[in-house]
Amino acid sequence: MSVSSGRKTIRILRAELDKLMTLPWIWTAVTVTFLVHLLLTAAFTSASLQEGAAAPGILNTGLASMSYLQAGFIILGILAACSEYTGGQIRTTLTVIPWRGRQLFMKHLALTLITIPAAFILTASGVLYAGWRLDGHAAGVEPHEVIQALLGATGYLTLTTLLSAAIGALLRRTLPALVILLGYYFIISPWSRGLLPAYFPDTAGRYMYLLPSSGELNVLTPVQGAGILMIWSVSLVAVAIVVYRIRDA
Amino acid sequence: MKAFHAEISKLLSLPGIWLALLIGALAPAVIAALDAIAEKEAIIAGVSTRLPEMGYSGLGLGVQGVIILGVLAVSSEYRTESSEGAGGQQISTSLMVVSSRLQLFLAKAGAVSVISILLCILAVILIVPTTRYILGDYAPLLEWTRLAGAVCYWTFTALLAFGLTLLTKQGMIPLTMLMINSSLVSFSVLLAKVTKLAFYLPDRAGMEMFMFTKNSASTEVTGSLFDSYHTPFTGGLIMFAWVAVLLGIAAIVFHRRDVAA
Repeated sequence: MSVSSGRKTIRILRAELDKLMTLPWIWTAVTVTFLVHLLLTAAFTSASLQEGAAAPGILNTGLASMSYLQAGFIILGILAACSEYTGGQIRTTLTVIPWRGRQLFMKHLALTLITIPAAFILTASGVLYAGWRLDGHAAGVEPHEVIQALLGATGYLTLTTLLSAAIGALLRRTLPALVILLGYYFIISPWSRGLLPAYFPDTAGRYMYLLPSSGELNVLTPVQGAGILMIWSVSLVAVAIVVYRIRDA
Repeated sequence: MKAFHAEISKLLSLPGIWLALLIGALAPAVIAALDAIAEKEAIIAGVSTRLPEMGYSGLGLGVQGVIILGVLAVSSEYRTESSEGAGGQQISTSLMVVSSRLQLFLAKAGAVSVISILLCILAVILIVPTTRYILGDYAPLLEWTRLAGAVCYWTFTALLAFGLTLLTKQGMIPLTMLMINSSLVSFSVLLAKVTKLAFYLPDRAGMEMFMFTKNSASTEVTGSLFDSYHTPFTGGLIMFAWVAVLLGIAAIVFHRRDVAA
């Protein structure tokens, strides 16, 4: 049976989406992330209610749990990539879809399609909750600022997910990938902040959703931050694809 | 004793264990070195505030290594092998060889504790010359009680990771939770802003065994939250109580659970 190249691509994308949607841990990860995010936002909100006038604005409170939230999305990316390697699924996948580069690219595309709505819903719910609780207590925000911050946060989470998926595809084992990424995002990076220039994926990406009003800390504009993070993610995905093409499965 | 031996050799031959040993042994010294360099500039500038904390912050973060150790020790048993390997789990083999579940549990917990104690001692041995070399005459004497506290903290954390993983049967959830929680953006520190009860959480209480001297100065990241709340001894007791309760629950669950479930 001969299928045109475009049809083939769409079929691969559908297959990858199907596989992602039916992974048992994906939905658990998203749901747990959502619940933890709400709990943390509640904690941040009540902390900033106690602080009173000095409290950060609605947006900053609503997005304060971003640094925890990204853990959920790191897990999502790693799961998507490493699930191929638990059991012999990778051999089935490659028997059915022998075009490796296209297959891995479509996997990342499918992951993006799932991550964008999930990330948007999560960040928006946090900001909505903070807005509801802090109404009248904190300075108001302009609608376009909210939209900009939400888009930035969604983009940040999506690119982080892609980056983790690429690392997962490179390492092929869930736990080491998880340790390395969490170790970087939660230990090395906060610890070395201020020592290193802000060109690393998380430090640059933070400027995508931080409000420009936080003083001289803002070295990068949101667009610059997004660009740097995008370079990181895209080049890691490219490396993953190249390695995947030449490696023994 | 044979079971204990077997657990040690199983643990040391795990595929991911090098990461745990590397982080546990080297990370504290590296962090202590960077910390000491920053502190030396502060001393020369005359604004030194954190001298008594030197070296210990590395121990607080290097605990990641034993978290990985504790998680891997259990999650490797429950990892399902590929379908070519008949989809088996190592736990069924382990239980066939050591048929008493309590004995297996104790042997495993013992192996995890012994390795984390050794790892912590190794980390301390590496930290002492590092700070001494960088800080020279300024280097504070590391007190034995606080070092012993750090060893306890590492062992208890490894056992917490072990117990949690035994309950969840897979490594991702406990690993994520504990790794984030022992970082600078820990949940417990956040919760301590909201309620005083957070000071009784295991990591927050356990840290006080070695981390907080009176009037310890704040860093810009953590703020003044890192003041001591318990004495080192009560901190250790609180953490030990958490470990005992968690291991008790884990032992009961492990004893009663169907292997395949």
